[in-house]
Amino acid sequence: MNCSTNNPAARRYMGRFSVTMLLYVVFLVLAVWTFVHCHPTGPLAWLLAVLPALAIIGQIAAFGMYLREEKDEFQVALGVQSMLWGIGGTLAVTVTWGFLENFLQLRHLDLIWIYPIFCALSGIAYGLLQLRYK
Amino acid sequence: MKNRLRVLRAERDWSQADLAQRLEVSRQSVNAIETGKFDPSLPLAFKVARLFETTIEAIFTDES
Repeated sequence: MNCSTNNPAARRYMGRFSVTMLLYVVFLVLAVWTFVHCHPTGPLAWLLAVLPALAIIGQIAAFGMYLREEKDEFQVALGVQSMLWGIGGTLAVTVTWGFLENFLQLRHLDLIWIYPIFCALSGIAYGLLQLRYK
Repeated sequence: MKNRLRVLRAERDWSQADLAQRLEVSRQSVNAIETGKFDPSLPLAFKVARLFETTIEAIFTDES
């Protein structure tokens, strides 16, 4: 995604991304604070536990909307390629970690780390693709 | 895919940024197409051809 231009699709994406990041922080703080201080149970506990994930789902949806709205097909190809590298890399890292966990009793990798790993690997892939097509 | 974009651009004294603006794509996209690293879709190839008032075959060469 080329954010340095006056690309309207990229600008809209950055706006949506910022909103979902802000929501993520707010929801996470709210959930942690409530669980620590109020010990919620039942449907409220479920709702609070899911709130941060909803913000992450919003972030994924924002990227999907960007890919649909972007008029520059090369930028779409870059976005899709970096996402595919991110997905492939995340699968490789997590399945390897899973076997290491099973056979060598390595520390359990919490599922909440999968999305940050995906984002990091997609970001690295995007940077490398940018260099390739500079 | 090989192409004559650089030549056609030079004939009109256009920079990559000028062509990108006319095609409504990024300069990076023009560079990727021009260097053969990215093949444009059929609609974009038609747009390029219309801009240079020629045919797609006169710009892009199928290497196979």
